[in-house]
Amino acid sequence: MIQETGTDLYSGILRFYALNDVRKYMKELLERYQREYDRSSNVIGSLLRAEGGKGMEVIMSKGWAKVGAMFVDVTDPEKGGMELTFQLVTEMRPRIAKTEEVLKTFESVESLPIPTEATFLLYLHGGIPERLVIDTTEPKPEAYVHKGEYATIQ
Amino acid sequence: MADEREDVLEVTVLIEDVDAARLSEKANENAASNYSLNVSLAERDRSTEHLVLSYSMELTSQPPTARFKISGSATLKGTRDEIKEGISAPDSNRPPPILVVIYERIYGTMYLLAGALKVPRPMPNLLKKSS
Repeated sequence: MIQETGTDLYSGILRFYALNDVRKYMKELLERYQREYDRSSNVIGSLLRAEGGKGMEVIMSKGWAKVGAMFVDVTDPEKGGMELTFQLVTEMRPRIAKTEEVLKTFESVESLPIPTEATFLLYLHGGIPERLVIDTTEPKPEAYVHKGEYATIQ
Repeated sequence: MADEREDVLEVTVLIEDVDAARLSEKANENAASNYSLNVSLAERDRSTEHLVLSYSMELTSQPPTARFKISGSATLKGTRDEIKEGISAPDSNRPPPILVVIYERIYGTMYLLAGALKVPRPMPNLLKKSS
């Protein structure tokens, strides 16, 4: 299996030891989405420019047929692939917008009175950060220190 | 950030500073290799999926004819449990696994330096706590 395009959209709960790490993670997430969006948009843009004024028909395949529970394109792979890329781009826009909004308004979370020992549970749904738990029941571990005297074995 | 993975602990060891000295004209590379180690590990940075430690090791031969001081960082990447296991000594007489890994990774450098200084080469074996 080779991933042609797109990005993994994580659904699950992530634990962070610092609120700043949550912000950093979401920023990296957004950058990844934006990179993928730009890349896929450029592919479609290039094709539309190359086909000069033909409009959306150059990326819309007429070869789709419903087979079982899926749509399958067996007759027009180029346009079929391009249509999938277009769908991907369309679906990425709201994801980027939502992640951007969360980041822009994250200051309001950071201004909350958060206990210093707290850790953070971030809930992501389809790659979008949706909820945050400020967890005081599982604190960050104490800083690790080890000192000792040893000898090499002969 | 943490998620469930099946991978084993990934360790990256970086040497940031090395100091090696031949302390005596009587040093002989063919003499018995008997080094004592003073070790210090301290947390530099931590998230749920990685831990960065500063390490510092000072090896002194017995009798004291050579000394090596090596310091740097070790980055552990894995789950919380894997990291915890990596830094926890199995018992009070044995070093934490991460210390063994660090020693293994820097051993080649010490071996070459000992050869260049014509002093006994430290043994590559696992460490034991000196009494």
